[in-house]
Order: sequence, then C-alpha cells, then structure tokens
Amino acid sequence: MHELIWLVPALPLLGVLINGLLGSRLSPRAISVVGCGVVGLAALAALGLFAELTALPPHTRVLRQVLYTWIASGNFRAEVALLVDPLSAVMLLVVTGVGFLIHVYSVGYMHGDRGYARYFTYLNLFTFSMLVLVLADNFLLLYVGWEGVGLCSYLLIGFWYERDSAANAGKKAFITTRIGDVGFAVGIFLVFATFGTVNIREVFDAAGRLPVGDAALTAITLLLFLGAVGKSAQLPLHVWLPDAMEGPTPVSALIHAATMVTAGVYLVARLSLLYALAPVSLAVVAAVGGITAVFAASIGLTQNDIKRVLAYSTLSQLGYMFAALGVGAWTAAIFHLMTHGFFKGLLFLGSGSVIHAVHEEQDMRKMGGLAKKIPHTYWTMLIGAVAIAGIPPLAGFFSKDEILGEAYKLGFLWVWAIGVVVAIMTAFYMFRLIGLTFWGESRVDTAVEPRIHESPRVMTVPLWLLAIPSIVLGLFLAWPGPPLGSLFGMEGPGLLAGWLEPVYEHGFELLGHHEAEFAIFGIDGVLILISVAVALGGMLAAWRLFGVEIGPLQRRGAPAQVNRASLNKWWFDDLNHLVFIVIGGRVAAFAWWFDAKVVDGIVNGIGAVTRRSGGGLARVQTGHVQNYALGIAVGLIVMAGSYLMIAGR
Amino acid sequence: MLLLAALAAVLFRLAGLLTAVVFLPLVGAGVLLFADRAREQTLRQTALGASALTFLLSLPLYFRFDAGLAGMQFVERAPWIPQWGIAYHLGVDGISLFLVLLTTFLTPLALLASWSAITARVKEFLICMLLLETGMLGVFAALDLFLFYIFWEAMLVPMYFLIGVWGGPQRIYAAVKFLLYTMAGSLLMLVGLLALYFLTGARSFDLLELYRAPVPAAAQTWLFLAFFLAFAFKVPMFPFHTWLPDAHVEAPTAGSVLLAAVLLKMGTYGFLRFSLPLFPVAAEALTPLIAVLALIGILYGALVAMVQPDVKSLVAYSSVSHLGFVVLGLFALNPQGLQGGLLQMLNHGLSTGALFLLVGILYERRHTRLIEEFGGLSRVMPAFAAAFLIVTLSSIGLPGLNGFVGEFLILLGAFRQNPTYGVLAALGVILSAIYMLWMSQRVMFGEVTNPANRALPDLTGREWAVLLPIILAIFWLGLYPQAVLRRIEPSVARLIQQVEEGRARAAALEPQTPPRLVSEADAGPKLVTGAQDRRP
Repeated sequence: MHELIWLVPALPLLGVLINGLLGSRLSPRAISVVGCGVVGLAALAALGLFAELTALPPHTRVLRQVLYTWIASGNFRAEVALLVDPLSAVMLLVVTGVGFLIHVYSVGYMHGDRGYARYFTYLNLFTFSMLVLVLADNFLLLYVGWEGVGLCSYLLIGFWYERDSAANAGKKAFITTRIGDVGFAVGIFLVFATFGTVNIREVFDAAGRLPVGDAALTAITLLLFLGAVGKSAQLPLHVWLPDAMEGPTPVSALIHAATMVTAGVYLVARLSLLYALAPVSLAVVAAVGGITAVFAASIGLTQNDIKRVLAYSTLSQLGYMFAALGVGAWTAAIFHLMTHGFFKGLLFLGSGSVIHAVHEEQDMRKMGGLAKKIPHTYWTMLIGAVAIAGIPPLAGFFSKDEILGEAYKLGFLWVWAIGVVVAIMTAFYMFRLIGLTFWGESRVDTAVEPRIHESPRVMTVPLWLLAIPSIVLGLFLAWPGPPLGSLFGMEGPGLLAGWLEPVYEHGFELLGHHEAEFAIFGIDGVLILISVAVALGGMLAAWRLFGVEIGPLQRRGAPAQVNRASLNKWWFDDLNHLVFIVIGGRVAAFAWWFDAKVVDGIVNGIGAVTRRSGGGLARVQTGHVQNYALGIAVGLIVMAGSYLMIAGR
Repeated sequence: MLLLAALAAVLFRLAGLLTAVVFLPLVGAGVLLFADRAREQTLRQTALGASALTFLLSLPLYFRFDAGLAGMQFVERAPWIPQWGIAYHLGVDGISLFLVLLTTFLTPLALLASWSAITARVKEFLICMLLLETGMLGVFAALDLFLFYIFWEAMLVPMYFLIGVWGGPQRIYAAVKFLLYTMAGSLLMLVGLLALYFLTGARSFDLLELYRAPVPAAAQTWLFLAFFLAFAFKVPMFPFHTWLPDAHVEAPTAGSVLLAAVLLKMGTYGFLRFSLPLFPVAAEALTPLIAVLALIGILYGALVAMVQPDVKSLVAYSSVSHLGFVVLGLFALNPQGLQGGLLQMLNHGLSTGALFLLVGILYERRHTRLIEEFGGLSRVMPAFAAAFLIVTLSSIGLPGLNGFVGEFLILLGAFRQNPTYGVLAALGVILSAIYMLWMSQRVMFGEVTNPANRALPDLTGREWAVLLPIILAIFWLGLYPQAVLRRIEPSVARLIQQVEEGRARAAALEPQTPPRLVSEADAGPKLVTGAQDRRP
C-alpha cells in the first residue's frame, strides 16, 4: 500500500482536472459525483494507509514514497516525496473525512449556483493541496501545499466575485497570509543555510546535535511560526479570517474551521522537536496563542453575524491549540484540533443551514425561534455548541480539559487561567448564538417567515454524521486512559496519546516530561470541576440573557467602552486600513511621482539639453563656404599648436 | 512553405543546425520581400510558417543537447576576417540554450497574436518581426564578440520600427527613447570590446579565447562598467528603467511580448556571458552595488507598479521588479542564485509575455488598457478569466507554476550570499501579490459596470492557440523544472569555476598592491563564504 500514498492526493487532483476542464459540459449531477467521489475515494485510501500503519510496530510506523526529484541545484535538493506517520495519518483522516462530508453537504448548499463546476474544482484543489501539505516529507513540498491551500482559500472566499466585499476579502486573505508565508520562506532558507538540507527528518537528525536554545534554531522556529500565525489567523495576522466568511458557508466550514486554518497547528506539531530545542520560540507560541484565545473570544461576545461569531470562535480555539503547543502539550493540541474539526465544521454547516432557511440572512437579530422550524439543524447545532462549551461527555470537554490540565500541571498557570476565562466566554457566546437563533420569539422578516424550511437530506445527513463524532470522539480518543480509564482502574495514556507517542517522544525527552498521568480525583478532579463549572456558568448566563426573556435586544452589563472595543474588533481593521491602504498608498503614489518626475525627469532633461545643444550647433552649419574654411583653418592651427606643445615638452 | 523548408535544408547542409535556426527567419523575411503586399493573409501565413519552422528546427537543440557537458555544443566556426581575429562562431551551452528556445517558441505565438491586430503595412511588420527574430537568436548563439555586436545592433532597428511605426499615440517619443538608451549602451560596449581586444593581448574577438586571456585587474573595473551599463540599460535596472514603461505602453502587442520576453534577457544574458567570466575581480568588487540596485528595482518597481492606471505600464514596472530578482540571483554567484536567475529569465519571458498577450486581447476588443475601464470580466469572458488567473499566479510565484521555482532558488541563493538581501527581496514577493491581485480584481471581479464590457466575446480559437502553449509551459516548468535545471547546471558550475579562477589568478598576480576597489569590497564577499561554511 505504501507505493500508493500518491493516490490519496492524486484522487482529488483528478477531480480538479475533470471538473476544471470538462465542467462546463457536465451535468450538475456528474459534477457532484466526481467532486464528492474523488474525496470519498481518497478517504478510503487514507483509511487503508491508516490500517497499514496500525499493523506495524509503534516505532516503525513510517511510510514514505519518493515520486521524483523536483528541484536540484548545487547541493540543494527537494523531492516530491510523501510521508505517512501517526501524526500525518490522523490529519489525513480529518481532512478526507470531514472534507468528504462537507463536499456532500455542498451538493445541497450550492445547488443551482452558476459556478457549480468551478466550486467543486476549487474545493477539490483545496483538498489536494491540503493533502500535499499534510503528506510532505520536506519543507519545500510542505510550502507548496501551504501556498496551495492559501490560493484555494483566496479563490473560494472570492467565489462570488461580483460582490466587491467577497473579492476584497479574498485578496485580504491572500495578502495577509502571504506576509506570514514570507516568514515561512525565509525560515526555509535559514533551514537550508544551517543544515544543508530541507528534508524534515534529516533536519531533525542534524538539529538533535545542536544545543538547546541555539540561536539559528530559535530564529528558524520563530520564522516558521510566523507562517503559522498567518495561516492559522493568530494575532496580529488574524484580520483576514472574519472577512473570509464572505465565502460560501461550506467553505468556511472546511477551510476556515476544520482544516486549512489548523495547518499552522499541524506545522508546529510536526516540527515539535525543533520547538523543543528552542524554548524561547515555545514561549512565544504559547503567548501568541493565549492572547489570541482571549482576544478573539472577547470579540465573539458581541458580534451579530452568525458566521462571524463562529469565525472569532475559531480564532479563539486555534489560540487554545497554540497555547497547548507552547506549553508542550502537543498531543492535547492535536486532540483539540481533531475534535474542533468536527464540532466547528458541524457548527458552520449548521449556520449555513440556518442561513439557507431564512433566505440568506446572517444577522442573528433577525432570527429567533427557529428551533421548531428547522429541528435537525437545531439539534445538531445544539450538540456542537455543547461540545465546544466543554460539557462532558461531549468531545470538546475531553480535548479542552486535557489542554487545561496539562497547562496547569506543567506549571503554566497563566495559560491555565487564560484557558478558564476563555472557557467561560466560549460557553457564553455559543449559547448567545443558539439563543438568538433558535430560542425565544421569531424576529424573522415577515416576508420570509412563512417560507422558512428545513434543508434537504443531502445537507442534514452530513450534519448528523458530524454530530456523532462531536459527541463520542473525545471519549473514544481519550480511552482507555484518562479520565474515564482511571475510573475503571485503567492507567496509561489515552488512545491518541499512545498513537502519537512515537512522533513526540524525542521532543518530550528534551522537555523532560511525558504526557502526564491523569486521575479523576485530587488536583485533576478539581480542575475538571472548575472547567465544567465555568462552562455551565457561561451557558446559564447566555440562557438567562438570550434564552428565557428574549425581548428587545440590548446589550447589558458590559461597560460601554469594553463593549465598543469588542464590537469594533479592537480597531485592528482601522489600523490596517491606515497603515496599508492610506500610508502604503501614499508611499506607492510618491514612488510613482518620483519615477515620473525625478528619474525620468533627469533622462528627459539630458535629452532636452542634448537637443538644445544640437540645435545650437546646427546654427554653425551656415552653408557659407567661407565659414567652413575659417573653421578648417582654426582647427588646423589648434591641432598644430597642440602637437607642437606636446611634442615640444 | 515548401520553399522555406527547402531553404532551411540548404542552410542546414551548408553550415549546421544552429545557423539554420538563426538565419531561417531572415530567409523568411527575404521571401516576404518579394511577395505581393496585397495578399496579406498569405504574407501572414508565410511569416508564421517561417517562424514555426524555426521553432521545429530548434527542437533538436533541446533533445540532442548533452546535459552532461558544460561547454559549447552545436558549435560552428569559420574564419571571417582572420587578420582581426574575427570569426563566424556559433554555439550554445546551458546558459544560452533555453533563451534560444524561448525566442523560437514565442515568435510564432507573437505573430499569431497580431493576426488581426496589425492591419497597416502588414508586409513591413512581418519582415521586421522576422528580422528581429534572427537578431535575437544571433545574440544568444554568437560566440564571437564582433558577430555578437552585429546581431545586437541589427536587432535594434526592427524593434525601433515596431514601436515607432505600429505603436500607440506617443510612439515616436518611446521609440527614440528606446533607441537612444540602447545606442548609448551599445557604444559603451563597443569601446569595451575594442579595449578588450587590445588589452588582453589575445588579439581576437573570439569569446572562448578571451575567456582564456585574463583581463588585467586594474583595467577590469572600467571595462566592467562599460559592459555593465550597456546591459543594465537593457535589463533595465534601476535607475535606467524609465524607457521601458514608455516602450511597452506604446509598442504593439507582438513588440511588447518580444521586448519583455526576450530583449530584456539580453542584458542579463550579457552579465552571464561577458561581465562575470571576463571581469571576475571587478564583478566581485561591484557586487554590493549591483545587489543594492537590484533590490531597489525589486521593491521600487513593485511599489510603482501598484499605482499604475494602465495595465501595460503596470506589467512593465512589474518587469523592473522581476528582472531585479534575476540580477540579484545572478550576482549571488552560487549555483542556486545562478540557476534560479537563469530559470527566472525563462519564467519571466513566459508569464510576462503571456500577460502582454492577454492585455493585447483586451485592447483589441476595447481599444483601451486603462484598469478603470474594465471590471467584472470574469462574468463576460470566463475562459479569458481562467487564462488570466493562471498567468497572474505564475507571475506572483505560486508553487506548482513556473515562477515559484526560479524565485525560490534566487532568494535561496541571495540569502546564502547575504541574508539581508534574501529577506529584503522576499518582501518583494508580498508586493507582487498585492499589485497583481489588486489589478486582476479590478479588471476581472465585481459587477460589469461599464456597458462597453457587457458583450465582449470570449477567447477565439486563434487566441487559445496562442495562449495554450504558454500555459502548458508554465505548468511544465513549475512541476518539472529539472528539465531545465539539469541542462543548465554544468554550464553554471563552469561559470562559477571561471569566476573563481579569475579571482585567484588576479590575487596571485598582484599580491602586494591589490587594486583599491577590490579591497574595499572585501567586507561583502567575506559574508558569502561565512554563510556557505555554516553547514555542519
């Protein structure tokens, strides 16, 4: 099977070719079959690889396939080579699994759109790029996937390009992430300058011989993290993600919640060994993640656009994952990445179903009371909300709790404190969303009201298929270890921790810790109680404010200033506008002025001087033979004179 | 057509493959001279046939090229003016091979693109195009400096007419500016050539012999500068670039395509073929200056491109930026920088050539190139939009397409030479995304607001035939750049060796009194070796 790794990314690529080249001639049905089919088959192929991996002894779980040499120049060499190890295997399953369901959902959501074939072409291209990113065995190929997903994100955000806001959002996403990507690229240069290779495993071998805290390693890890900050929309490069909601909702679910934005988390996890050798970088990762988590959650509290709430929630949850990576809780970060992929994908698809039901309305102030009218959407979204809020035994509880527990026990009290604060806010804004959308009285436009309808089966079935893992995945992946395992007298790491152990063990050795043993009693029990309590508190507060007495929608309680800051997204967009559009535009305009007036002015000046002196000299050509004779005579005298002077010396 | 093929066969038998490739367009021009000017369609077909045949004839250069060899291949040599050491000497190596191919590949496409755009003086236009092709091919194939100079000058004249006769409203200003700039450079180069002839003691214009005859270190700086200016005008490097936007905006599509794709490369080719191997000491001494000019070109060109109201001048300024990358890579003088630079010369030729073709397609429909006149074209011309998207992405260096590989290797090479160069140049990558995406957004996206755009026809079959080969090449070079890199690697390695030997020789000859300029620049290159040795 390992000779067939290429098949996993190649299948979506085949979909790109078919729908991209023949799409205009295919029926929508054929387009859907191709678009979804190739991803489904890729999911099966990924399962096959996963099965093959499980059959191997834990420490030999690596499959590698070299396809061809892509670039060779001097001693630089980059191959198109694919690598499957336990870490990339779980990512493969998330990408193809969640991806497949979202493709299917899209069949209903995009029904009748005039860009139907284009949509599936882009979506398949995205899946292909994401798989290349996940499977890459060297930095350069990883970068290819990295840029590829960025491109698809650009194309899909701006999918409805006739809307200016969509086209602008796409461009903003591409350029903002490209700032991070330049950091990534410079990081690759530095990797090559330091290690003489860009192969990840060779770099690991060489890096292992460097001392902890080596300056080059710190620089490399920070530069690569800059790439992650851009792609995973962390502070201060987060500004593109909320705007990215201009794209079709399934795109928001797939790219801007479940997969692409987690690429930064994957990158840091994949390179955890390098980060373990650079404590400064780890601290930076934790800080950026922690700050983003609080910051984004604080904005999510007041947003009225249903998708924007989810977008800020995604930022915040990604911050959670980075905070986990920064404290060395790498398994927990990947755990949360997986559960988040399912429940956030579910929430986004649910919001798409809501938006569909109320005829393309996204403002929650114009919703309310939808629970009875679109029950499948309501129940699945409720499951998603409970899951993300961290109520046991749903998936989010386990992964979030593992992050909090690890942070506390590894001594990062501040990360734990941030995590708890964010947990309250998360529960609050999620149930604010549920309350405004589904509970209370309807505020839907009276013209739309009678036409509210539940989405077709092709959309609700994927919702339920995502809801199931949102319920059980946490329990499953934490089994047989903590925390349930210990209840039943079972010890040892959870399923996921055990599975990822071979990937992380060198890094853990360097950090001097193992995934901590877990228990339901003692400090762990207290921590669990705290996190569940705050989650319940947030939920209850939201329920009280937005559930029971839904009346007129005023914001209450929060001080006006803080509220304004939250509502205006802490003025980041205004700052960017000032710096990049206003000041940047002036600089560019000045450069053009300089070019036209100064650089070209000098050139034209030289031309004018030449022309004028030529004009002056032309007057010498009088046409009178006498004048010429005089000229010749003077010339001869001068020449003879100079000859005599030089020769005479 | 048959006549052309027969003439090609005769050339091939009499001289060789390379001669046939170089002179077949000239033969085509000769045939056109005697053709009836009223039968425009036949004229066009003949010219297209001649250039297409030239392309076919040049293919064996690729397939029969021995990638293991660093030296010249397909060499043809015959004495010409022996008492002056002048010979008819042609040959290609890894450095020139792909430039020859780029020229033979793009000329027929440019001719095809002007099928319906050029309606005045068709015969003269076609003759100019074919003369230009022979001139360009000769420049890349000539191994004798005298012969090189003749081709260099010969190519100027048809380009001057292309801009001056078939250009836009400001065509005379643009054509004269182009001519004066290039002539000034040519004169400097001529002086340099003569000095080279006398100073080296080789008493020959043969390039390969001159390679073996070291130029005295003291003379290198002045000679280098003479050649450098000639080439820098051509590239064009900041601050000598202002002729380019004018020339591009005024030139007809075919002229712009060849100007951007091939003519600009003559400057960078000159750096590789002459400046670096002939004057290695001076090149090293002046590298910091050149790198700084290249960096200014990258960032400044991109900034100015951002605010251009005219698509063509935007693309012209983007060329200043892209060529800055190329020069930076070449003067990094390590395998990555040189190979990347060479590859990027091809990439720029393809993607910028294609951009000018696309702009030309719009111009033919709307007779304007102002960005504000467009908007929402994706809706009206979906196929055009797809081609435009691919070319734009190639231009901004998206991995998987050609531009990325060259740009990456250049940046890697520059970074190894001096990390600051690498980082600053990398910022240009952000800027290129900004100006290209912003332009394509304003042209392609949004609603169709201008009624004149509402019924624009999409790509015709002929336009597809022009664009498709370039798009395929864009993918091919992006996915399998080894096809090129493998063939240019030995020649590049030899070039590096030449430069190093030249420096070593100069250092050995004059150990007690090193020329002033060399010692001044020692600080720069020391960093180079430092960066290279950093590998454990």
